Amino acid sequence: MIITNNLSKNYGGQTALDSLNLSVKTGEIYCLLGANGAGKTTTINLLLGFIEPSSGSAFINQLNVHENPKATKRFLAYIPENLMLYPSLSALENLDYFSGIAGKKISASDLEVFLNEAGLQPEAFNKRISTFSKGMRQKVGIAIALAKEAKVLLLDEPTSGLDPKASNEFGLLLQKLRNKGVATLMATHDLFRAKEVATHIGIMKDGNLKQQLVASDITLQELEKAYLQTMEYKALAL
Amino acid sequence: MISKTFLKETKELLREGRVRIAFVVVILLLGVSVWISARQYENVNQQYEIAKTAERAIWDNQGEKNPHSAAHYGTYAFKPKYPLSLVDQGVDKYAGSSIFLEAHNRNEAQFSAATDQTGLARFGDLTPDFILLFIIPLFIILLGYNSFTKEREMGTLTLLKSQGISSWKWMLGKWAALFLPIFCITALLFLIAGFLLNGLENFGVFSWSSLFTLFLVYIAYYIVFTNLVLLISAKTKKSGISLVISLCVWIIACLAAPKAASNIAETKHPYPTRQEFAANVLKDRREGVDGHNPWSKEAKLLEVRVLQEYGVDSLHQLPFNFDAYRMQKGEEHEAEVYLKHYNHLKNQYSKQTQVYRGLAAISPYLPTRFLSMSIAHTDYATHWDFADAAEDYRVATQKFLNDNFAENSNYGDWGYRADASFWKSLPIFEYDPPELDFILSENFSNILILAFWIASSFGLLILFTKTI
Repeated sequence: MIITNNLSKNYGGQTALDSLNLSVKTGEIYCLLGANGAGKTTTINLLLGFIEPSSGSAFINQLNVHENPKATKRFLAYIPENLMLYPSLSALENLDYFSGIAGKKISASDLEVFLNEAGLQPEAFNKRISTFSKGMRQKVGIAIALAKEAKVLLLDEPTSGLDPKASNEFGLLLQKLRNKGVATLMATHDLFRAKEVATHIGIMKDGNLKQQLVASDITLQELEKAYLQTMEYKALAL
Repeated sequence: MISKTFLKETKELLREGRVRIAFVVVILLLGVSVWISARQYENVNQQYEIAKTAERAIWDNQGEKNPHSAAHYGTYAFKPKYPLSLVDQGVDKYAGSSIFLEAHNRNEAQFSAATDQTGLARFGDLTPDFILLFIIPLFIILLGYNSFTKEREMGTLTLLKSQGISSWKWMLGKWAALFLPIFCITALLFLIAGFLLNGLENFGVFSWSSLFTLFLVYIAYYIVFTNLVLLISAKTKKSGISLVISLCVWIIACLAAPKAASNIAETKHPYPTRQEFAANVLKDRREGVDGHNPWSKEAKLLEVRVLQEYGVDSLHQLPFNFDAYRMQKGEEHEAEVYLKHYNHLKNQYSKQTQVYRGLAAISPYLPTRFLSMSIAHTDYATHWDFADAAEDYRVATQKFLNDNFAENSNYGDWGYRADASFWKSLPIFEYDPPELDFILSENFSNILILAFWIASSFGLLILFTKTI
């Protein structure tokens, strides 16, 4: 579902991403771990087609992202760190709009089903987004992905700033989507959450994918050790 | 996607307090201005009817009188207030409402509304054209300055782009949401004006087609402003900057450009001063026959020519009163002199208009204003047309009076009195303003400029939206 071949991005003389080779299959959750500036967000932006790669290529559902920017967006949903919706519109109205512009014609009752599935309390459906917490907004984001029937989900530090309960709920939602066959790529700093939800974990540093791990093969302590070893290298270099 | 975006934008606008307040303020201002204008229109036309009837009654009931005395006594040509002046008062306030028609002189229109006003008039009047030309574009800015920038500022742009939004459909949705309230307000104003005018049957000939054309002109103006405001919002990063740039455009387009155009036009093609004009007219008048001066060189030459033409030795042998004949020849000479000098003024006016039209490319306000005033019959061109019609009537009246004098009396018979019933046979002055077709053909360049503004601003909007 998600494939990158030697995907690179340079800004002037600075390498933001260096020959990234990655594959996330249907029903997999791939967590990209790394410090700030490791290249996680650049990877997501390249997969979204927001920026042009300096070299290499990215594929969503077997379509080259940069050759088919519109077509690839049909298959993907994106939830940024701080999902912003229209504050004067309700959850239902936001969902209706965002699914509508993605070309989906969904009845009001189905929209409620998606919000419900995303874990939003029914009494919040018609409340304005301006009254929502970040966790509630993220749930609307998941509902947008559900309504869009996205095959690929790109998440950029979605649990950052969420309380443990909301973060846990979000993890459960990702598991639900995984069971539906969605391929998820999540950039995060949260090792614990990554271990909880991921099927695969990659550790990035300075634009390079340093390690790739199968989540079920390691414990949280091992993951932490691997992460710190990679980061320590950076600390020593400094 | 267009309808979804349109609905979303409309909901957002309706839920914003500033928009609701601005909407109510604009509607109130429009209501008050239409009410004031309607009252004024009704009042002026009542005065027009009363003055016209009274003046004609005075003319008709002069009793027995020498026709040339009647010519000096004179009469008035009253300019009617046209129905669409309710929407655009144009230069009516400054152009004068009546022209005194007398022997030997072409007078300018007098009794303008501006001369009756106090110094407070400097603040301007609350008229529908003020709301239409200045306030509604400001309202468009208020509604639309953050149309695109808010997406950046709120962070929704990223999510929109990830949904694979089509930029032009998105833009059209926003465009429709911004334009619809403007369209509704304008349509409401014109509908109210239409029904008000339709109800005032005794006051001028009201034409729905002219009103509709005027409506289309303003709609075109608002389309340009909507495009400009949206393209500024699409190109800028922050709402504050977008607002400032939009307001600068409004100031340049609606305030600075018209004044600059006016100054440039007047500097390039100035009118003579009133004194210069009067002196030039007097100089030329002296070079021809003066009806009241039988001893002038020109009068003597005329005498010789007429005696030769009729093969007689004495003016007494002529079959008409030579005094009246000379008077008519004097009138004809004076009319020619006035025609020449007024044509020069008109020529300067045409050149100024050309400059205005040339400068109309720098502001959509200019072609809109010209079209609006022309269609409403409140521009200088209509005023010139009225003044020319009044002058034609004055010349014809003088001939009518002098012919009666010449045909019914003998040379030196200044005691001749026309019959009391004679005055009624003078046709009543009627003036028909230019038809809509003629106005539109005369303003074709303004229509083209407005169309250019629409096309270019829309093209740029599409281009800029693609780069968001």
